[in-house]
Amino acid sequence: MSQVTDTQRHAAGPGGAAGYAAGIKDVVILELKQRLRSRGWYIMLAIWFLLTGLVTWLTWASWNASQAAQRAYSDFTPAQTGPGSMIFEVVLAFVLLFALLVAPALSANAVNGDRAGGTLAILQVTLLQPGQILWGKFFAAWFAALAFLVASTPFLVIGVALGGMTPGHVIVALLMLAVEVGVVCAVGVGISALAGRPLFSIVVTYLAVAGLVIGTLIAFGLGTGLTQGTIKANQPNYREYQPLSNGPVEPEYTCSGPLREQPAPRTERVAWFLAMNPYVVVADAIPYPERTDPQGFTSVGAIESISQGARYAMAGPEGTYPCANGEAKPRYLAQETPLWPLGLGLQLVLAGLLMWLGWRSLRTPAHRLAPGTRIA
Amino acid sequence: MAIEEDSAGGPALPEELPEGGITATGVSRKFGQVHAVEHMDFHAPAGKVTALIGPNGAGKTTLLLMLASLLAPDSGTVSMGGLDPQHNRAAVRSRIGWMPDTLGVWESLTAREILTQMARFYRLPAAGIGPRVAEMLDRVRLSDLADQPARVLSRGQQQRLSLARALIHDPSVLLLDEPASGLDPGSRVELRIMLRELAKEGKAVVVSSHVLSELDEIADGAVFVNKGRTVRQQTTEEAHAAGRRYAISATDGAALAAKLTELGLVFRQEDGRRPAVSLLLLSDDDAARLLRDLVLAGVPVSSFAPASGALEETYMNLEGERR
Repeated sequence: MSQVTDTQRHAAGPGGAAGYAAGIKDVVILELKQRLRSRGWYIMLAIWFLLTGLVTWLTWASWNASQAAQRAYSDFTPAQTGPGSMIFEVVLAFVLLFALLVAPALSANAVNGDRAGGTLAILQVTLLQPGQILWGKFFAAWFAALAFLVASTPFLVIGVALGGMTPGHVIVALLMLAVEVGVVCAVGVGISALAGRPLFSIVVTYLAVAGLVIGTLIAFGLGTGLTQGTIKANQPNYREYQPLSNGPVEPEYTCSGPLREQPAPRTERVAWFLAMNPYVVVADAIPYPERTDPQGFTSVGAIESISQGARYAMAGPEGTYPCANGEAKPRYLAQETPLWPLGLGLQLVLAGLLMWLGWRSLRTPAHRLAPGTRIA
Repeated sequence: MAIEEDSAGGPALPEELPEGGITATGVSRKFGQVHAVEHMDFHAPAGKVTALIGPNGAGKTTLLLMLASLLAPDSGTVSMGGLDPQHNRAAVRSRIGWMPDTLGVWESLTAREILTQMARFYRLPAAGIGPRVAEMLDRVRLSDLADQPARVLSRGQQQRLSLARALIHDPSVLLLDEPASGLDPGSRVELRIMLRELAKEGKAVVVSSHVLSELDEIADGAVFVNKGRTVRQQTTEEAHAAGRRYAISATDGAALAAKLTELGLVFRQEDGRRPAVSLLLLSDDDAARLLRDLVLAGVPVSSFAPASGALEETYMNLEGERR
């Protein structure tokens, strides 16, 4: 029994940041070993793969069908970009949707599930610090969720291979998906450390995700109504109709006359709601496709529309109202200030706050316990 | 989530720890309106097995959680060789082994993996972990099952694994919360032997239980708690000296009762399966004398034996005092 002497005990392990990281790694190993041995995870992964494949195939098939129909009834062939952009966008939206749905399931019982099973206190009584336990749980949940992204990568690559997109798009898209999944995992782990029961924390995490995806849209919509303001603008004079052969010429109007106060919603005050939406963050971070078509009349993708729409809201009437301050405003593709750093920043603040509160509840010796929870 | 420096603000670590053992002085802890522990005193010396005895809800588990540095007392102090868990968390934890009353095993991991992970969490030197784990598995007789997932282990085996987990870092204080619950008689004997061995190695062993008969055999001392308070602290010798209850039965109950009355002894009729009386005798000599008197008086005694363990006697007396 006495092989482990006191000197060995205290000479062990590097101190400082390296020791801290080693503790996190040990917790991650413990967690992943358990996750990798549960069959449910593999079943979910297989279903995910098949579902994403099905969506990809259906998108491609429906595009082919519509092309065939167009060829059959007219000699007009507008699309030269191929189905790539469309498949990419549909698959991306689908993967983000399901990643947002899977991540809470993988993260939101990480801490209180262990508490219920009596294994959390086993960790707490060792030399692990609460932050190491929490970060370990977070990384394990994140890695488990990233496996789902890896499973959907082939289909995003197909989207690129079929044309229209560059590998850069896939890389940026995957990176942003990974970050968004990480944010949801952090929210889930934080809530699971705070809530007593796994069921409750999973529901709350799903509601948080719903709040980010749908709630931000509602908040933006309702908030816009409350931001009625005025803007000084004069009269736009639109040019005569010109055939499209010249492409969209910006700006398409000139401004003249005296500046007058005009009512306009100050959307820039509530655009940060919109910025927090995971779809906006991902869409806004992805660069727009190259516009090599001289006609400038390619099909505008959904990603691009979401991004531009959000940037418009962020720019507010000062940047978008016709002839605001007597200046003509360029119309399309002109909003170049990216919105996603703001949105991601706000998401990280939310996730960080929840993780910090969760960390507080894991500190031992515990002073206050959440009502209804037990240490062991 | 910064890296916590454990000794920051706390007293410096003493070079040599004074005599081991663990002490709680006047600790209180409440959960909401419930006072789980109120001004409790507790001491478990090194090299001894100390029993923590009390009815369900007496505050045993809460006290053990405070001793294990998981729960902070609202007032009072816990001290382990002069170290306070609040300030010297790491130093205290590397010296404490805690076995919870809930088993809490990672079911999909094997026994060997569980012990290896625990050794890593205690930052044992990597090179020594393999042999150390093998040694612990051997000690709790789980070597044959070392590579089975923990979920296939029986309750007794999981209990032994839990004990090995608490011992992996060779702590000097061992806190066991209801270690014998759910064990079959053979495993209880085994546990008893192991706890005696651990005490002999110089560890302070704390065992909480309300199964009293076996504690008589293993505990050197006992702390009785009830309703969150320390009711009595005594060694097993003292418990024995306080007398114990004997049960006597005779084929002729009336003759037995008559003789006892004649001797001026207070006794009570027991309503067990067989008709018997019980009475309190102060020492073994008293018992020998009474048995001789009864036999010489021609009372047909069919059995004459201690009715309960010495600790149980104290416990039952305390229960009586409460009413």
